[in-house]
Amino acid sequence: MVEIKKYLADLACRDAGVRAAAAEGLCCAGPDAAIAAVELVQACGDDDESVQTWAAAALEDMGAPSNESIIRLQTLVANQHPLVAYWAITLLGRLGRDAVSCELALANVLIASSDPAVREQAAWALGKIGAATGVAVAALKQAQESGTARLVRLAREALDPTNQ
Amino acid sequence: MTKKKSKPRKKGFFWTLIFTILTAASGGGFSGYLNPELPLLGPLVKNILASFADTLTTGGTGTLSGDSGFLDGPQGPGTSGAFGGSVPVQLASARRPADKILIASFNIQVFGKSKLAKTDVMSVIVQVIRQFDIVAIQEIRAKEDNILPALMAMLNAEGSRYNFLIGPRLGRSVSTEQYAFIFDTNRIEYDPSSVGTMGDPGDLLHREPFVARFRPRTNFPDRAFSFWLVDTHTDPDDVPNEVAALANAFQVMQGALPDEDDVILLGDLNANEFELGPLGRIPGIRWVVGGNTMTNTRKNKAYDNIIFHAPSTTEFSGRWGVLDLQSAFQLSEEDALKVSDHFPVWAEFDIWEGPHNGRVADRPIAARR
Repeated sequence: MVEIKKYLADLACRDAGVRAAAAEGLCCAGPDAAIAAVELVQACGDDDESVQTWAAAALEDMGAPSNESIIRLQTLVANQHPLVAYWAITLLGRLGRDAVSCELALANVLIASSDPAVREQAAWALGKIGAATGVAVAALKQAQESGTARLVRLAREALDPTNQ
Repeated sequence: MTKKKSKPRKKGFFWTLIFTILTAASGGGFSGYLNPELPLLGPLVKNILASFADTLTTGGTGTLSGDSGFLDGPQGPGTSGAFGGSVPVQLASARRPADKILIASFNIQVFGKSKLAKTDVMSVIVQVIRQFDIVAIQEIRAKEDNILPALMAMLNAEGSRYNFLIGPRLGRSVSTEQYAFIFDTNRIEYDPSSVGTMGDPGDLLHREPFVARFRPRTNFPDRAFSFWLVDTHTDPDDVPNEVAALANAFQVMQGALPDEDDVILLGDLNANEFELGPLGRIPGIRWVVGGNTMTNTRKNKAYDNIIFHAPSTTEFSGRWGVLDLQSAFQLSEEDALKVSDHFPVWAEFDIWEGPHNGRVADRPIAARR
């Protein structure tokens, strides 16, 4: 735990090498790195490619973050950096119904994002959360009509009550 | 090549594109093995080819290396060597039995320039690969194209002749990864007309499988066990959909070539034996890793596996294993995690084509069991 806190602090270091080593250390920490979930998502927007790569790898294998991170993750779902948005959305999706408060934010991303992968991930997350509000359902129906093959499939699955 | 039993081609979502890839690469036909042109995919540059000119000059059908017994140590592959230690000067191929091949899968978590710069980590990776004839690699993550060439230089430093096939960078976000096959050319040859990345027009898979067809090098190439390897790494957030798609991919590959019925799907499935869905329900399907055997370094998941159709792939010897990096190299868990969060998994196969359609009579007498 001491090491994870050190890595967490190092992610904010000005030295890219230190940040990359911190992201790598958090990747090796596996599920224990969940306490650094938000910082890792932010690190996906780092200017340094190694930091980005290790942060994304850490998030891929980390599992669900804690519920305490929901509010901060929600602020990142519309981030201009697509990898940041992608991972913020993915972590919220992993939280399922616990992240229901983010439904509107995710629906807005689904409607407005210019990044296909981000839109697809928003549809996926809405399915995991169990989209129920009018805005979310409308966004999914629209995606189902005019999206990429994957987006259409994910939107259809999200709207299918048997998947919720 | 002697024809194997043929199966009806699967009409699946993969079929159109896999057909396109295969015919595009073949140059107008199934030209056979040992074409000296490496069909390196992705943006690999000419200097990679130049750096492996010596390896590429191997041609003709070779014979197997001498049989000096199975791997060092009583526990099977990978029981010798210490972290950062040196490997005895002996060709890797000479440590393996002449009548069997070892096929492995290894997710080398975030294999890129950071790991390449760690001598201790690379020593373990090199020693691991030298235990096997072919290793399907997942998670090469680098913008640079020098990762596998550098690994080859290390692997071949003691005189071995490993080479590799690498796929394109795959992924939906800007974070991408590549698959690769690393194989010992003293023992294995590949079909250059049958290398490619599966098509996935429905975008069901985050990282479409990388496929290639191999066989052991023998004096009787028409009777050697040939097989597809289907290298895969599923998205942990979409496992049910992806294993369902892989079931389709597996069946497509079974019918991809009329003279090939052996398909070995291997990789990081992010699913244990109970989570394989339609893939695990294909009639006759078999996976090697099961029971209480774990495949990750933390020893609480069984996500890596080697899967094939048992009635077709009778060449499987029944031997398989998970190479525990911690115990094999006497590492702490922390140091093992620096190598990867996955252990390699492996399975052993006979070098001769199995007795399909009465073909057992075709096998060389010395090779019959």
